[in-house]
Amino acid sequence: MLQKLQKRTLNVSQIIGYALTFFVGITIILSISQFYLDIKPLLSKHTDMFKSKSAVINKNISIFKTIDKEKIYFTDIEINELKEQSFTKDISVFNSATFKINAYTNKTESIPVFYTDLFFESVPDKYLDVETDEWNWKASLDFIPIIIPDNYLKLYNFGFAESQGLPVLSKNTISQIEFNIKISGNNKSKEYKSKIVGFSNKVNSILVPDDFLSWANKEFGRTDKTKTSRVLIEFNNPSDDAILEYFNKNNYSINKDELELSKLLFFFKLALIFVLFIAVVIILLSVSFIVLSFNYIIQRNKELLINLYNIGYNHNRISTFYQLSISLITVVSIIASIIVSNFIRSRYLVEIARFLEFKEIHNYIHLFGFSLLLLLLIVYNALIARNVKKIVVQ
Amino acid sequence: MIITNTLCNYMSIELHNVKPIYMSDAEISASDIYLQKSVLFEHNKNYLIKANSGSGKTSILNFIYGCNTNFIGVINYDGVSNHNLFDFRKSKLSYVFQDFKLFPDLTVFENIQLKNTLTNYKTVEEICSLLDEVLLGDKKDSLVGKLSLGQKQRVAILRALCQPFKFLLLDEPFSHLDKENRQIISNIINREVKKQNAGLILTSLDEIALFSFDKILNL
Repeated sequence: MLQKLQKRTLNVSQIIGYALTFFVGITIILSISQFYLDIKPLLSKHTDMFKSKSAVINKNISIFKTIDKEKIYFTDIEINELKEQSFTKDISVFNSATFKINAYTNKTESIPVFYTDLFFESVPDKYLDVETDEWNWKASLDFIPIIIPDNYLKLYNFGFAESQGLPVLSKNTISQIEFNIKISGNNKSKEYKSKIVGFSNKVNSILVPDDFLSWANKEFGRTDKTKTSRVLIEFNNPSDDAILEYFNKNNYSINKDELELSKLLFFFKLALIFVLFIAVVIILLSVSFIVLSFNYIIQRNKELLINLYNIGYNHNRISTFYQLSISLITVVSIIASIIVSNFIRSRYLVEIARFLEFKEIHNYIHLFGFSLLLLLLIVYNALIARNVKKIVVQ
Repeated sequence: MIITNTLCNYMSIELHNVKPIYMSDAEISASDIYLQKSVLFEHNKNYLIKANSGSGKTSILNFIYGCNTNFIGVINYDGVSNHNLFDFRKSKLSYVFQDFKLFPDLTVFENIQLKNTLTNYKTVEEICSLLDEVLLGDKKDSLVGKLSLGQKQRVAILRALCQPFKFLLLDEPFSHLDKENRQIISNIINREVKKQNAGLILTSLDEIALFSFDKILNL
């Protein structure tokens, strides 16, 4: 009878409105959060979006600089100034070899003989986009690992090999080839074995481990101090307009494509955050709406509730019906959201797996959904109990 | 043993210097209740509170029942003033409100059962028999919203009888009843009050001959 009486006080259209908007908000928030977690390792693996947001800069080479080569180097003052810019998060310089380097192969049947002059540079390991166990150097071992730009291999395979009638090489094949490196300077020389251990998309240079180059520059280098012609810069926000403005002003050259990719991914992340924000707004609105709606129901039926209290129904018993109603709607909405979010996830996982090598991570939809449900049930039940008590107990 | 039981079952309500906040001292100068040093109600006696309209008859019953606290002064229940009245009235106080406080969307039977399910004081048969007695047997399943005022008044009185009590508060209970129905209802009330060894506090514009009052108080 109590239920029959209180059922009449509910506004069905308002409850349906809440259930739908709440369902939409929760579905978006659960799907987007899980989507973000799913693709996060993918993005951090393939790009620098979540880590460094970095780019390589150098000075523009003009006709005057070909005459006075000193002008292509960054001075300490210039580097310090770069460090102090608001858009700069961190800065690191390229270390260049100041000794002579030759690479050559011994005559074998499988590999053509070659002999070439070479240069080396190094960057701190944290800026490398290559993961390999072979990237270390020990003075006791006569072996130097080398990383070359991905573009170099393409240049060889589709340009040089084509015109010279040489075989094309896969990354795997080229990584098997061992060749010799001879470094010389300061009237001494030393020979090493070497191999290409990786290909970088990010750093356009022939890289060796930083500690090797520091050591070798001391042993064989022409000067005590190495000069810096290229700088790796890590941005706080790659879409900051001040970056390009500053570089143009100082006549620094930047790999804009790299920055564009960072920008694109930054905007992608921003879009996800924006959608998440909208979902949070929808949820907050729907939660506020239903709380206000129930408050209105309680206020509008004040007399009925007081009468119930006066004939012996305590405020907890009067609240129970409204607490159960709001809890039931919320539970149904969240369960529906969890089902739909899981369906959406299954669809996009199939799509991602079609294009990218992808390792599925844990599904947090249920955990997020039920945690939110628990939180809301506590809030709703406490609010309704408080409001009913306020009305009936004078 | 008998004496102990009698003492345990004894109940009194005592008013000390009670006055509604919204009434001035001048308005209540000749009252037997308001602003009196002590007004005692004992459970096995019947009291009539008599006054003209607008004198605060409903207010005094609401103060005693605890559903209106806009008064100054003290009301003691068995000598104690700070009772949890909600729990206290479950077994000690029943009230027939002047405006009935019935639920128009429920039927006659449902209105009575809404109270009786809390107390389980009367059986369904007893309720049906009482409805027959007050000539509402055929209205058992009618919505209260469709009843006349006199019929509603009878339903409200029957509902109030569906609980144990030491005092039955009645606020102008016969205002919409004819002579025949007054007789029927007063018989039922007298029977129930006697059965429960309870007292009556009844408000009215005039004197009522249907009950034997131990004390008549002018408000």
